[in-house]
Amino acid sequence: MPLAVVLALTLAFLPPPAPGDNLRTESRSPHLHRIPLRDADGQFIPPPAALNEQGTSQEVRANPYSPAQTCGRCHEYEMIGGGWHFNSAKASVNPGRPGEPWILTDTATHTQLPLSYRGWPGTFKPSEIGLTDFDFVTTFARHLPGGGVGEPAKGKIDAKDARMRRLLVTGTMEIDCLICHEMSGHYDHVARFRAMNVENIRWAPSVGAGLGTLGAGRTAKSIADFWKPAGPPPANLPMLKYDRTKLDAENHVTFDVTRKPSANNCYYCHTSDSQIGDARWHSDRDVHIRGGMSCVECHRNGVDHMVVRGYEGETKDRQVSAAMVELRAKLILRDDATISEADARGCAEQQLKDEMSLAETFSCRGCHYGSDAAKDTAAQLGGRLGAPKPLHKGLPPVHLEKLACTACHSGPFPTNAPQIVHTSRAHKLGLPAPVRTANTPPVIVQPVFLRGQDGRIAPHKMVWPSYWGQLKAGKVTPMLPAEVSRKAKEDLPSQSPEEVARDPYYTKPLTNRQIRDVLGALSGDSPNGQPVFVAAGRLFRLVNGKLASEEHDAARPYAWALAHDVRPASQALGARGCSDCHSDDSPVYFAKVTSRGPVESKNRTAREMWAFRGDDRTLASIFAFTFKFRPMLKYIGFASALIVLGVLLSYGFAGLHTWLGHHKHQQDKP
Amino acid sequence: MSKMTGMTDRIPQTTVRRSLLTSANQRKLAYALMLLGTIVLAVTGLGTFVLRKPSMSGWVLMLHASAAPLFAVGLALVALTWAGHSRLGAAGSPRERATNLVFWLMLASGAVVILSGLVPMTPLFGTSGQHVVVSVHFYSAMLVTASVALHLLSLAASR
Repeated sequence: MPLAVVLALTLAFLPPPAPGDNLRTESRSPHLHRIPLRDADGQFIPPPAALNEQGTSQEVRANPYSPAQTCGRCHEYEMIGGGWHFNSAKASVNPGRPGEPWILTDTATHTQLPLSYRGWPGTFKPSEIGLTDFDFVTTFARHLPGGGVGEPAKGKIDAKDARMRRLLVTGTMEIDCLICHEMSGHYDHVARFRAMNVENIRWAPSVGAGLGTLGAGRTAKSIADFWKPAGPPPANLPMLKYDRTKLDAENHVTFDVTRKPSANNCYYCHTSDSQIGDARWHSDRDVHIRGGMSCVECHRNGVDHMVVRGYEGETKDRQVSAAMVELRAKLILRDDATISEADARGCAEQQLKDEMSLAETFSCRGCHYGSDAAKDTAAQLGGRLGAPKPLHKGLPPVHLEKLACTACHSGPFPTNAPQIVHTSRAHKLGLPAPVRTANTPPVIVQPVFLRGQDGRIAPHKMVWPSYWGQLKAGKVTPMLPAEVSRKAKEDLPSQSPEEVARDPYYTKPLTNRQIRDVLGALSGDSPNGQPVFVAAGRLFRLVNGKLASEEHDAARPYAWALAHDVRPASQALGARGCSDCHSDDSPVYFAKVTSRGPVESKNRTAREMWAFRGDDRTLASIFAFTFKFRPMLKYIGFASALIVLGVLLSYGFAGLHTWLGHHKHQQDKP
Repeated sequence: MSKMTGMTDRIPQTTVRRSLLTSANQRKLAYALMLLGTIVLAVTGLGTFVLRKPSMSGWVLMLHASAAPLFAVGLALVALTWAGHSRLGAAGSPRERATNLVFWLMLASGAVVILSGLVPMTPLFGTSGQHVVVSVHFYSAMLVTASVALHLLSLAASR
């Protein structure tokens, strides 16, 4: 009794939770984060002692910790929530250069749909295909760091929406700071994924951090399935069973965190490798990482967590929004008692603009050459972090205008066809699963050399969307896999248990007959449009009962620029000379890109790289052909120049000799 | 070209120094080669600048590179066949002396334009050096174009 009373009295006299404790160390030395845990209501979590008053062991169960309330005590959680990893659904945020989408993959219906809230051309917004924010969050929770659409304000959760109201039971998906900032390597992504899978969303950060476990009790999902918003709040929600060894005598937890996460943390969501399967051991990884750098050396961010994406022209894509000024002004006012509100706003805007200009210095070019866009003189000079200034001896400067640095230095060395690449987010890397092979959907290839928004050629990753949909007025609206399965259950091919064991990702392509049958089954829903199947760059539909296919805008591949792994200069494209690109078999122009998708190979289309860029094949071929004569051109040029110089020198010396003789003759005259 | 034939024939033979190639036809051919090269190079090279294109590319670049050896060989032949006729000295009228001066300027700037066009294809210079070389190429190209035009005009005037 005395302990409980003391604790209760202590809590009663504690000041109410403030929005933030505003404490800073301002040192380069990392601060030891030995801190108390708080739950979603901001209350301290004092898990019961391992032994009760009678001295017998008891379960240490309590509410899960809340990163927003625990970390947000000292860190600007609201401002962090506007960062690049969390702001995809904010309409005010410029989407910038198209990036990697989330790919909704369903093996049973052979669906692979690129999704993004950012509205990148070629992707679908979840709402466009009837996917609620809740569905999106739970589908991709395995690699979502939280925040954004997963964390709507409490009052903004629509209780009438059968899907969204589940968040009232499962808890919102707060930003899980430890996913990135934990540095011991003990963050348990698998445990977090399992918790997310059963919609134990609120508990997932605690489970991932290893603070405790949930056991095999009821899950939030099972409770949410039956909970009606009209009824009382569910009282039987799971309690976290804390690992007492993680808490000290004062119920504080020591978080091993870092401001600068290691590359391993980033790799959980950002692994991208063409060395797949057992060939992984061949991968040299990025030359910068090998040199001892970490991802965040270049992909930096301030407290606003607007991580630098690192491409040229990024500064133009990042605008200083009113919300950013507002938040920064708040910080300035907090830290400077003498400043007026108006001055704080002006100061905030200037600070943000100056910082924005620095973003450009973290692109390849900005770091290695410097950037005039930067206000800072040192940044203008380049060489940040000791980045060597490239010599590029023998490379005509026009190449630097026409090519992104990544064209020669990034991704796998190009060959006569792009390679398959697996990425964390597309292939659920980081989570245990049967061996992912080259055919594991979604099939993504790299490098495909396309022109970026700035007109420069850069290597890209490419994926062909694959989905069942409805064509109406020339526009295809995708159908969700569940809807397709429901309507065409009988006609969708399925695997026997033996086949599942052998081909867990169901990579067997659909035959034309199977496509025809499914389209036939879906055709009952004709008011919404004609059923179609989009795959491998083609649109399939029934014309007079027969399957027909055509190239269609809806089937166009989605591509996004790649920048890693960066290869060393000795392995750059062009290291062997001009013919790396200017030859009649150069991959940059003539590599064959075959569309990929769950259809028979006869339905796939193949194009050479130049076609994707709209280049002229004849020009490229003839230009490459002229390089056979390049040595001759040099010989002729140098020989001609030597002759001209010889004549110049010969006549020059002769003239000088004559002039000197004439001059001497004049002097010798009496 | 027929006009030029007249021009070259009128060069005072008293100042001719015996050179490797001296026949009038060879001189004419050499000059014609150089002139043709110069015209194509000027149109493609300076045209790109006039049209404010960031850099030469595609067919234009290929035409430029194809005309370059024509110009280089032509200039070398002009140097061999015309140098003897165009020696600088006190002899001759002021107009002839000016023509000869332009000739030597043409040779000198021509040599620079050839070398500055070739050097970027060799691993001698890095990016900053290459930018300098490209600038040198640009300015010397303007000079050689101007001097070829002037030389041609002065030859025409001396008819």
